[in-house]
Amino acid sequence: MGAGGELTAERIRADVLEVLEADGEEIADDDDLIDLGMDSIRVMHLVERWRALGAETDLVALAEKPTINGWRELLTKS
Amino acid sequence: MAEQTDVVVVGGGPGGSTTASLIAMAGHRVILLEKENFPRYQIGESLLPATTSGICRMLGVSEEIEKAGFQVKRGGSFRWGTNPRPWNFLFALSPRLSASNSTAFQVERMKFDEILLRNAQRLGVDVREGVAVQDAIVTGGRVTGVRYDGGEIEAKFVVDASGNSSRLYKYAKGNRIYSDFFKNLALFGYFEGGKRLPAPDSGNILCAAFDEGWLWYIPLADNLTSVGAVVTRDQADKVRGTQEEREKHLLGFIDRCEIVRDFLKDTPRITTGTYGEIRVRKDYSYTNESFSAPGIALVGDAACFIDPVFSTGVHLATYSGLLAARSINSVLAGQLSEEDSFAEFEARYRREYSVFYEFLSSFYDMQSNEDSYFWKARKVTNFSVTDIEAFVTLVGGVASGEAALTDADSVVSRFRTSSTDLNRAVEETGTMQTESGERMFKLFGTKVVSDVMQGMNEVQSRGVYGTRSAENPVREGGLVPTDDGLHWHDPALSPTA
Repeated sequence: MGAGGELTAERIRADVLEVLEADGEEIADDDDLIDLGMDSIRVMHLVERWRALGAETDLVALAEKPTINGWRELLTKS
Repeated sequence: MAEQTDVVVVGGGPGGSTTASLIAMAGHRVILLEKENFPRYQIGESLLPATTSGICRMLGVSEEIEKAGFQVKRGGSFRWGTNPRPWNFLFALSPRLSASNSTAFQVERMKFDEILLRNAQRLGVDVREGVAVQDAIVTGGRVTGVRYDGGEIEAKFVVDASGNSSRLYKYAKGNRIYSDFFKNLALFGYFEGGKRLPAPDSGNILCAAFDEGWLWYIPLADNLTSVGAVVTRDQADKVRGTQEEREKHLLGFIDRCEIVRDFLKDTPRITTGTYGEIRVRKDYSYTNESFSAPGIALVGDAACFIDPVFSTGVHLATYSGLLAARSINSVLAGQLSEEDSFAEFEARYRREYSVFYEFLSSFYDMQSNEDSYFWKARKVTNFSVTDIEAFVTLVGGVASGEAALTDADSVVSRFRTSSTDLNRAVEETGTMQTESGERMFKLFGTKVVSDVMQGMNEVQSRGVYGTRSAENPVREGGLVPTDDGLHWHDPALSPTA
């Protein structure tokens, strides 16, 4: 709907960069996102957005693997 | 010839200030009429992050709020349910994920409300204090202004933010429905300090259940604690009397609630000045059947109020203020019809009230006490026909993608499921300040809590990232906020605006 599209590996990275207000070079796919400013409200915002795209999200699992690659595994393993 | 303006806002509390400010920020003329002269006393002191780091940031007033020295809270602590020790509902998902936006404030409303009202003035709102509005002016089935002692103002829109004793809410059509389930009253006063929970929870609100109801315990400053008893409305006769009688009953309730009694041991009650009075509020937990009609929108307590155990009063007021401002701005800008714009206001506001209604019903259901009249009557299985009908009316046409909630059984069954889920999550989370008790994943993972957090998260996200926050419609064919956050737009017409 509002956000549109489907949840791809590129989309996950782009959304993470957006909420962290970072550009691509600053963040590698295996960096710990919490060290880079990921916080509760940002995580919940992303979860909300990704749920709207039909993704199955599990807060605990996401928090245990707070890297772009970790989240790609959890969210795109169809 | 009456004075003319774009919008008249009636009431200068947080709901009125928020609505007026956000309409002035969109470039329209706003007159705000407040019957008192600020600062003035008000109850409802515990805030949520959606207000303090969402709405306040949109209003450009968050720095001033931070500098005011209000008590920081990182959540609520509850002596409630099966756990004999207090447990936490924290705003941050986990200690590692906590940030400056994971806290809110406990505020003296005299100070907080005045900051918001003066900020509205700075944003261009024509604020007039000491002006009591008497009635609305209706022309051809539309509200077209207000009448006050000494004059009239014609406006394209009237916003009623005049609180629970509103004289205008009836112009939104429909009745005000009082909840049987939350048929409570509050009796409250102030103490010169008292014990605090251990850091980092020392600023939290503490809500503690006891046989006859529950108590709130809000640390406002080192030497100021707000303490209130929420008990059945049947006790109204007892608290009708003199200050001495009210004091006897308040101290009696405190004496029968172990943790609060212990916290207040040897702490004198404040008996002079603004905080010296023991006050009563009886008329609570109600909702209007409609929150708007042609020319008028209701925000805050003028529209609805729900039990204060989760500190929702100011959130519902400022959130509905944001929704009303978007709807009115969109019509004044000629971008949307009033019908479409107000339908969005109604849908989102009803959704917000109904998710809290479900959450708080489940919350009450957690506390079991077979010997207590108060708690036995507050199990979701004892929902009255009036309450169920009111809930169905409220969510009618709002809830999407879920089982139809059109009959009593489906409402009760859904609330029981929510209650069971919440109970389990609270048990698994466990006592405050333990490893599990610091982590909110179980609680936030339940549907009922996640529904409650959705609207608040959107407001907070917007406060945090401004225009970069994308939001979803809440219903089929619904509208979404524009990038500036001050209007609605139809995502079917263009993906962004």
